[in-house]
Amino acid sequence: MAELLLDVNNLVTKFKTADGKLSAVRGVSFSVNKGETVCIVGESGCGKSITSLSIMNLLPNNGEISEGSVRFLGQELTKMRQDELRKLRGNKMAMIFQEPMTALNPVFTVGFQIREPLKIHKRLSQREAHRKGIELLKQVGIPYPEKRMSQYSHELSGGMRQRVMIAIALACRPSLLIADEPTTALDVTIQAQILDLIDDLKEELGMGVIMVTHDMGVVAEVADRVMVMYAGEKIEEADVESLFSNPQHPYTKGLLKSVPNVDDRNHQLEAIPGTLPNLNEVITGCRFHNRCEFATEKCRTQSPKTFTVNDEHTVRCWLQEVEQHDESAATASSNQ
Amino acid sequence: MPASEAVATQSKLGKQTEGKQKVIVVTLKKLLKNRLAVFGLFIIFIQILMAVFAPWITHYSPVTQSLVNSELPVGSENHWLGTDNYGRDMWSRIVFGARISLVVGLVSVILGLTGGIALGLISGYFRKLDGWIMRFVDLLFAFPGILLAMLIIAMLGTSLVNVMIAISIWSIPTCARIVRGSVLSVKKQEYIVAMKSLGAGNSRILIKHILPNCMAPIIVFATMRMATAILSTSALSFLGLGAQPPTPEWGAMIAAGQDYMWTSPHMTIVPGIAIMLVVFAFNVLGDGLRDALDPNMDLG
Repeated sequence: MAELLLDVNNLVTKFKTADGKLSAVRGVSFSVNKGETVCIVGESGCGKSITSLSIMNLLPNNGEISEGSVRFLGQELTKMRQDELRKLRGNKMAMIFQEPMTALNPVFTVGFQIREPLKIHKRLSQREAHRKGIELLKQVGIPYPEKRMSQYSHELSGGMRQRVMIAIALACRPSLLIADEPTTALDVTIQAQILDLIDDLKEELGMGVIMVTHDMGVVAEVADRVMVMYAGEKIEEADVESLFSNPQHPYTKGLLKSVPNVDDRNHQLEAIPGTLPNLNEVITGCRFHNRCEFATEKCRTQSPKTFTVNDEHTVRCWLQEVEQHDESAATASSNQ
Repeated sequence: MPASEAVATQSKLGKQTEGKQKVIVVTLKKLLKNRLAVFGLFIIFIQILMAVFAPWITHYSPVTQSLVNSELPVGSENHWLGTDNYGRDMWSRIVFGARISLVVGLVSVILGLTGGIALGLISGYFRKLDGWIMRFVDLLFAFPGILLAMLIIAMLGTSLVNVMIAISIWSIPTCARIVRGSVLSVKKQEYIVAMKSLGAGNSRILIKHILPNCMAPIIVFATMRMATAILSTSALSFLGLGAQPPTPEWGAMIAAGQDYMWTSPHMTIVPGIAIMLVVFAFNVLGDGLRDALDPNMDLG
């Protein structure tokens, strides 16, 4: 059994808005082991980023974790004081952001920014931090690291900046890395390089990685386990092979169908009809029912419970009930 | 080995400062392309020279009276700017007045900036304090500037030090608003969230990461405010609330020259021109800096 790093249980994150308190994340549970990559997928606005920000406790001012627990290395993060959390952030857990263009401070050199976490957590002197910074830049594959240390972020390319971000995030050798769409703003060739880099560093440092993405290609490339989110809920979780070969939830199937296939000329892209519901919409039953082609009366009235497909694979969809019922009926009849 | 290592780190550090300098060099280059700003810089440079070398470039004391030589016109022998009604050399008085206006301007702007930046940073960053601080700032805004300064001087008494205090308090609300605005936009930036995700504390983020990003408007404000501060010092002294005779303050000099407007107009015109030039200089320099520091402005 791999070592448990992060255990999120029934996480509910709410936002105070003019329309009252709205839930962006509704009872999400998952775990990350050491050396494992967990991907969180779903379309924009489904709560992926808020889930990852909730773990770091970096929610915007109007957001709060109202229920559930986040246990990291055996410590409960939701009840922790701010100064204790600060000691963990950047030290034991770190985050990479979506936009390398805006995630680096434009008025400081790369060197200044890479020295900051080392000074905050490791209390290194300027000179030691500088030397360590060069080492880190070398590690993430940046040529001429000495020169880069004195450059500003606007002097670097997008891929280079994302490498710098990774170097900064990994400066203190964290055990958990949260990557919030790290490759979305990059072009495809650079994407592959960055993903490989994160994967290599994961192996090297034995980190757990949470990768937030909406790109099924990225998922196939890096994930060990995948969690699919829709409108703030976890609707399916499986190991990567099982999810791609045997997707259960109609939404997951839809996501997989909406990936272009370069090998098949006649491949038609299928979009999932409709859009994600607003946070303030009241939906009874399954949150996906009004976009689901298989929706039944039960889907419209009752929230689906979690069904187990196999050890590693769970799904929240009423269709499972029918299938599992059929299967058990089939096995029963074949036994007869 | 250690020697070569030291050399290596030294060259590294050299490179770092080179990186820092680059921004300053770029801004200066842009600034120097602006002719008006260069003119302003030139005038300010002269004023600084006058202020620093005042005792060496004048032959007469600015306060010693010599009634024999009173009211000499501009261009007189030994007194190229003439003398006033007490026979004091106008050139000496202007030069020593440059000292006063520069010091009063600098001190009051620095004091005002300190207060304004502190209030602005806190109210921009901490939402809970924002309302309270901004209402306090509104209160300060409710008084017309010069009236506020007069009120403060009326409470503290007339002196140059009190003028500095009054003018710095008058600078606080505007500065606080400007800084708060920049903080509000900067703190939403992803790099600030990224800094938080690295475990930086509030004070570190605020002072080390947000403040440098707000510097451009602060620098422009400080330069423009110098002009206002110098003008207000003169205005308050003119009204008799600031420098007291025989202090060679430009505003006070104009006030003293009023009665001799018809017989010796240079007593009002010379300090008047001095005030005008310096205020103009700081204003155009401020304009130039604003253009040079604005990354969206392409001066070609």
